[in-house]
Amino acid sequence: MAVPTALLAPVLLLCGLGPRLAATHGPTGVECVLFNEEYMTCKWGSRETLTANYSLYYWYETRLPMLECKHYLWDRGVSVGCHFNQSEIIQFQPFHVLLNASVNGQTLEIRSKRMELQDLVKPGAPVNLTIRNMSSNQLQLTWSSPYPKAQCLEHAVKYKSNKDTSWIEHGVKGDIFSFPSVDYEKYYTFYVRSKINSYCGSTQLWSEWSVPVVWGRNTTSKDLAEEQLQRFWIHTVLVPIASCLLLLVLVVLLVRMERVWVILMPRIPNPSKNFDELFITHNGNFQEWAGVPKDMLESFKPNYSESICHVSELPSKESHEPQWDGSNRPPGGPGAPAGPREHSPYQNNYVGV
Amino acid sequence: MSHAFFRSIFRVLPLLLVLSPVNSSSCTMGNKTAEIRVKYENILSHDIDELVNMSAEYRDRCCKNKKHEHSKVFFCNDTQEIESLQSMACNMLKFFNKQKIIKEFRWKAALVSCGTLQVLQCKCERHKKEKVCTQINTHNNDDRETGEQSKKKCNHEFCELKENISSLRSCWNKFEKIISR
Repeated sequence: MAVPTALLAPVLLLCGLGPRLAATHGPTGVECVLFNEEYMTCKWGSRETLTANYSLYYWYETRLPMLECKHYLWDRGVSVGCHFNQSEIIQFQPFHVLLNASVNGQTLEIRSKRMELQDLVKPGAPVNLTIRNMSSNQLQLTWSSPYPKAQCLEHAVKYKSNKDTSWIEHGVKGDIFSFPSVDYEKYYTFYVRSKINSYCGSTQLWSEWSVPVVWGRNTTSKDLAEEQLQRFWIHTVLVPIASCLLLLVLVVLLVRMERVWVILMPRIPNPSKNFDELFITHNGNFQEWAGVPKDMLESFKPNYSESICHVSELPSKESHEPQWDGSNRPPGGPGAPAGPREHSPYQNNYVGV
Repeated sequence: MSHAFFRSIFRVLPLLLVLSPVNSSSCTMGNKTAEIRVKYENILSHDIDELVNMSAEYRDRCCKNKKHEHSKVFFCNDTQEIESLQSMACNMLKFFNKQKIIKEFRWKAALVSCGTLQVLQCKCERHKKEKVCTQINTHNNDDRETGEQSKKKCNHEFCELKENISSLRSCWNKFEKIISR
């Protein structure tokens, strides 16, 4: 029973200490950056993540002894980093950092891994971006860098026109970028940033993007507003007025120039005038008006008179015999249907000729 | 008479020792920095990058917390970058025959060492090591290991070589920075 108890005690102790240690929210590591080789900051956390004040000690592998940070960075009363001057920075010599804090009577020590400061250089952003027009629609972008060794830098150029939706990025070795074909109707924006190249170091730290330089038709918001106002005047005022004026001119022309009116509004023919003579002079006598010859008129007049002879058939009582024989044919002639005609009420009354 | 003889001998010898340069550099490209830059940037730097990438692919867990007693530490001394590079390159050649290290990796490391010595026109103190460069230049590492053999365990020789490579690269970076405008 003694052995399990002996084993339990450290476990319980760790369990007791563990949450407390975890609750102090110690730094996860030290991050150092050399800004343009002018100064360096090493940070290990922020006010939110730290509850203790850490002290930083550093040394170079070839140069002992260990030195303490002379210039701490504070965040609301908690030390969060250390600032190193240029004189305190030595590149190409392994650099070590030790963080030290005292919490509730316990000392916390955090050692950083060995650092090579030349691999932690962040150059300053390029400056003096200049665009020049070259021949055949070509632009040349140049810049300078605040970093002392320009030949140790590689650059990246990012650009976009006002018609593009995304940025285009190009890597550049020197400090000149040629843009091959430019559209004079577009408006371009260029940014540049720098990094230590692989010949002089091994870093992934890019500088900040430079201040942009622009080229092309500059349609600023003021210009856009002016353009919109111009469009408004054209579409809302000038065009309607011009249209009205044109309409007015056309109306005047139509009224004044009968030839145009006739073409546009042809007269509906009124034939009544042609027949005035018929009704007024000849009293509706068409033949007279038409000029039909008298001979022809006479020929249409009948030259005989004929009295009307009413013929009717008296009904006979004895007549069950057929009312016709071979000499008397029914009025319909040969081949006429017999049945319906026999019963037709009109059969018995017809006018003889 | 014999006393005079020995006295003369013993005076000359220390004089010779004092007068002879302590670190006589056997590199002849010292002043031709432009030529060194061109060769380094166009050829050697790419081989160094490949070597570093190769080194990062292999297991190195055993290297992180151990500092081996017998491993030599090289520094890139100020104003003596060429000599430092020479020392590093010559030292790296000793790993060429270490069987515990993956063959492809050893060959590449030797290639970089020989390239460094060639660019700087340096010789190693032990001339045996230069036979390695002759072998490297004539054979192109045709015998590549199989994939299974290439997964060798981490060992202290590998760690030491890795350390060497890192130092060599840093020293080249430093030298390049100095000779750049």
